[in-house]
Parts: sequence; C-alpha cells; structure tokens
Amino acid sequence: MNKEVILCVDDEETSLFLRKPVLEQAGYEVVTAASATQALEVLSSRKIDLLLTDYLMPGQTGTELARAAKNMFPELPVIILSGVTELPPDMEHVDLFVSKVEGPQSMCEKVAAVLSANRKESGTGWKRENRHRRGQRLT
Amino acid sequence: MNPPGTCRCRTRNRSNNREFRSESLRTDNLLGKSAVVARHKPWLPVGEEGSAGESLTTYDKEAKTMNANEKVNILIVGKRTARLASYEVMLRELGENVILASSTEEALRCLLQTDVAVMLFDVDRFQSERDAFDAANAILQHSNLQKTPIIFVLDAPLTDLSEYKEYRRGAVDFISTPVLPELLRNKVTIFADLHCKARQLETLTRDLDLLSEAVIVSDGDGYIEFWNSGAEALYGWRCEEVLGKKLDQVLPTTFPEPSEQVLPALTSAGQWEGTVRRQNKGGQEISVAIRKVLQRSDGTGAVLEMGHDISAQLQAEAALRQSERLAAIGRLAAVIAHEINNPLEAIANALFLVRSHPSLKGEAQRFARLAEEEVARIQHITQQMLGFYRESRTPISVSMRTIVDDVLDLQGRRLQINRILVEKEYRDDMVVIGFPAELKQVFLNLIGNATQAMPQGGRLRISIRESTDHASSLRGVRVSVCDTGSGIQPQDAKRLFEPFFTTKPNNGTGLGLWVSKGIIEKYQGTLRFRSLRLYDQHVTCFSVFIPGAAVAHPLARDAVCA
Repeated sequence: MNKEVILCVDDEETSLFLRKPVLEQAGYEVVTAASATQALEVLSSRKIDLLLTDYLMPGQTGTELARAAKNMFPELPVIILSGVTELPPDMEHVDLFVSKVEGPQSMCEKVAAVLSANRKESGTGWKRENRHRRGQRLT
Repeated sequence: MNPPGTCRCRTRNRSNNREFRSESLRTDNLLGKSAVVARHKPWLPVGEEGSAGESLTTYDKEAKTMNANEKVNILIVGKRTARLASYEVMLRELGENVILASSTEEALRCLLQTDVAVMLFDVDRFQSERDAFDAANAILQHSNLQKTPIIFVLDAPLTDLSEYKEYRRGAVDFISTPVLPELLRNKVTIFADLHCKARQLETLTRDLDLLSEAVIVSDGDGYIEFWNSGAEALYGWRCEEVLGKKLDQVLPTTFPEPSEQVLPALTSAGQWEGTVRRQNKGGQEISVAIRKVLQRSDGTGAVLEMGHDISAQLQAEAALRQSERLAAIGRLAAVIAHEINNPLEAIANALFLVRSHPSLKGEAQRFARLAEEEVARIQHITQQMLGFYRESRTPISVSMRTIVDDVLDLQGRRLQINRILVEKEYRDDMVVIGFPAELKQVFLNLIGNATQAMPQGGRLRISIRESTDHASSLRGVRVSVCDTGSGIQPQDAKRLFEPFFTTKPNNGTGLGLWVSKGIIEKYQGTLRFRSLRLYDQHVTCFSVFIPGAAVAHPLARDAVCA
C-alpha cells in the first residue's frame, strides 16, 4: 500500500528538518517546502494527501496558503500547525488548528484523524462537529 | 448649612463699629423689610394688649425662620416704659433686635414664640426683689425657657445672697442702677455671644447628623457620647443603642498598626488617621477610613471620630489592580508562549527522534527520556498559557454531559489508580454554545485537582443541573465537582485563582484555575468554590455556572452513578 503524502511547510529549516522524520516514523511520506510559494509549486507538481503548514511565515501566511491550496484541490485537507495563541482570523479553508506545543505524538494523532476522516467522507467533506471532536483530544 | 465661625465674625464686627454697621445693613437687606422694621420700630406694646398680640404674631413668623447668621433677640421686660426705652437706646449700638415687653405675660408670650438670647428684667423700686424673682421664675418654669439667661436691673444693690442663690438657676446676672451703658452692653454681649454659640453648636450638631460621614464622639474613657445618622447607617447600630457604651465594644476594630500605638499617636499629635477594619451590627467586616481628633479644649480626652466606608472602593481598586495585572500577564504569556513554542516543538521532535533512535543505548537512552519528560513539563506549562486557543472560530452547541464524560474517560486510569469513586449526578443534560476544547480544559483542571487532592482515595461527585445564578439571576447550567480530598487552607482561598499560585510546587503550574476562571468568564459564567470540614473529612466543591444554557434532554431525577 502506498504511503500517504504530507506536504509540510515551515520557514524554519530546523523545525522542518526535525518534523519530517517524526511524520515519517508515523508512516507517512513527507515532502517539505520553506514557503507558501514553494508549497504551491509542489502541490501543482505531484499528488499530496494532506497539507500541514505553519501559520506565521514570510510572504503568505498558512491560512492564505490554505485558501490557495483549496482553490486548486478543494478536497485537500489542511492543518495549521502553529505556536500562536490566538486562532488566526481566516480559518475558513483550514480543517484543523493544532498547537505546536502539543508535541509529536499528538501531532501525528491529529494528522491521522484528519486523513482518516477525509478518506471516509471523501468528496463531501466531514462534518463540522466531528472535526471539532477529533481536534479535541487532550493529552 | 451655616459655615462654622459665623458668630466669631459677629464678635469681631462688634469691636469695629463701622464694619459692623455695614454688616448689619447687608443682613437687613438679606432679611428683608420686616426685619428692619423690627429693629427700628421695636415692639413697644405699652398697655395695649391687642396690638401687642398682633405684633407678637407678626414677629414670630420672622423669628422662626432665623438662622445663626442673623441678629439675636434681646427682650427687655419692665413696667417703666422710659427706662426700657433708655436701655433700648443703649443696646441699639449692638445692632441686635431689641424687643420691649411691659408685663411678664407679654414677656412670656414673646419668649414662647421667639428665640430670645437674653432677657433684661427691670425691677422697679416699688417692686420687691422677691416679686421680680418670682416673676422671672414663673417665666423660667416653662421648660423651653430654662436656658434663657436673665439680667436683672436693680435699683438697689443686691443685699440678700440667699435670694441670689435661689434664682441662680435662671437669673444669671445682676446690674445696678444707674446703668452704665458700656457695662450693660458688655453683659448683654456676653449672653448674646453665648446664645449665638449655642445656636451655632445646635446647627453643627444638626449638620453633623446630616453628614453621610459617620461621626462618633467618645469620652476620655471611650464611652460613646455622640453617634450621628451617618454612623447609624454605616455601622447599623442606632444612636440609642450605643450611647454610653464603650466604642471598642460596640465596634470591634482592627487598626493597621498595633492599637497600643494609636492612643499615644492620638495624644501626641492630637489626631490619628487611617483605615481600619470594623465589624458592623450584622457582623460584616467593613473597611473604614477614619480620622480621630482629640478634643483638647475640654481637657476630658474626648475623641471625635469621622469615618466613611471605603470597602467598595478598596474592592474596586483591588479588582482593577488584579485585572490589570492579569491582562498584563496574559499579554506577556501570549508573546512568550509564541516565542517558546516554535523552538519547543523542534526540541520535542528531536528528543522524540533521539529516544527511539536505534543507536542510542543504555544510559544515553535514559538521559533522552528524562529530557523528553522535562520538555513535556514545559509543554504543559505553555499549553496552560495557551489555554485560550480554539480549534475553530465558530462556537458550536456542546453537551455538558459529553464534555464531562470525555474528561472522566481521559482521567479514568488515574482515578482508578488513586481508588477514587466517581459519582455522577446528571439531573439535566444541558447544552451550551461554545468551544469544546476550552470547556474540557476547565473540567480537566477541576477533576485533575480533585484527583491530586485525594492521593489516598476518596469520592468524586460531579453533578450537572439547570440552575439560576444568585448574583445575576440568569438561568444556566451548573456543574459541580466535589471531592473528599485534603481541602483548601483558608490562607490559600484568596489566592486560588491567581496565576502561578500553586499548593503543589512539584507538579503544579499554578495556572490551571486561573486559566479555567478566564475561560468560564468568557462565557459570562462564574467559577466558585467552597471548602467545608465535615466530621473528620474535607469536602471541596468547585462550581461552574454558565448562563444561557438550553436544556437538551432532561433526564430522570435519579442520579446516574458510575
């Protein structure tokens, strides 16, 4: 079975370098991009199953990237992974907000949850309530 | 309200005639025409009873409306019209109202209807001293007039001292003919001043009583002599309940400094100012800003105290300070959290990778695990600070029952390990519109605290019911989390919701309750607690109230126990 592919976007090289193997250990193939522009290039060049992006980046923010990505692939699930305390204002194209502070295990669990929900209800999008539930696993 | 010192002003004016005149003219203008008439056309009812009565009535209307700024009334009584007129001329210089009465009846009527400062009683040579005294006595018998001083004008020097003694109570002074104008004026002035002072005192007393300030006068031994309506309002005790009682017994007082230091300070400086804590009649503690002034003049050591309630002000100030502090901490926390979270994620990921790295052996593996555990602690702290993050911008309807059950599921193992019996009492299933994550965090904190308070096991009761908030009278949902753990120490109670306050220095961040309260307050709700000692165990209840909740599915009243 083919591994699901995650596009991981962050402007910090170290963060990206360390997050990649964590996701790989969880059984995903990981492609990285250092900016929104780069990420959009990757998206147009190959099949991506999930977009996991930082929020605050030079150039476009994570939510702006989410909007652009959803324009190209409306069914592509997008997770914002951020260290900010307040939820960004333009979250309408984002499936889940995950705090960086939750740790590697929680991050992998949430990625899995979003992917599985997307598989189950592919095409129609999953219910908002479910999305909240799943996002809520407190560790 | 009359400014104090009006009478002093009058006395000064008297010594300076020119100034005094202008003052009296001004007063006349203020008083209006009739007062001027009363002065220049003194009431002279020689033998005419009818007209005298009329004049009296007319005068009365003026007199009753007089205040301390106005002229005082001097009543001259006697049968010898010429004499009375001569006294009137002598006294005119004083600028007071002079009233003449030709009989004791008229004098009595005048005294009853006007406020007379001093009465000049002319005793003619055909009238015995005895008769004059009897007449004066008859006048003074009337209880209202007891205080009116009388100066007897005697043709012969006073011979019988026993007579003097007998009437000492009412007849205050004597003057012999021939009357020296200066002497008469001096004597009358003394009484007029006295009267004026008395009137001023009355006004002051009345003003004191009207003051919203609580004014208390106590004598040298601390017994209450005066208690105004402000004191009644502030302390709840009625004047008649406390007069003659000891002040410190009526009002248990805590001074900001040892009370033994207050008295010396009061004695040496003549006054003491500060904020004290006092118990009112209802037993409620209030903060009162007081000023105690030692009444030196009377030498008794009497103390006048003025105070006003600043409890509400102190509370408001404390609340403001607290909220400013919290807002500042909140801003700081957000900035720090963001700056820390990025590297923290990288560290956590790195340690996660290191720990599971195949090349890591033995001791190094242990070090990596320890490092990961410590990082988890930092994550926990910043997550507490980040407690306000929401997974969505749109609130959704959340079942309180589901929230609490989810948290109990998460805590299930810990509850089991600690041998904690969970009792659920879900009377109503309530739905609130909100964010599940933050609501869960509240109950995770409350249930987590309860669990930690019961290391030796115990009971955890969680109830959900529809309720009305006391303070706001709003309907809503109340969730109570009660434990039989170690309880809350009284000294900790006040600081419980402060950030970084913890009773668990080894594994508490001191943020749980602070964050929880913040979350609940965003819902316009309240988070309160009560800690009781029942028999040999403590019962601690945290109660969350969120208004505006809708009842989703009312359940049977029977408790659902797990």
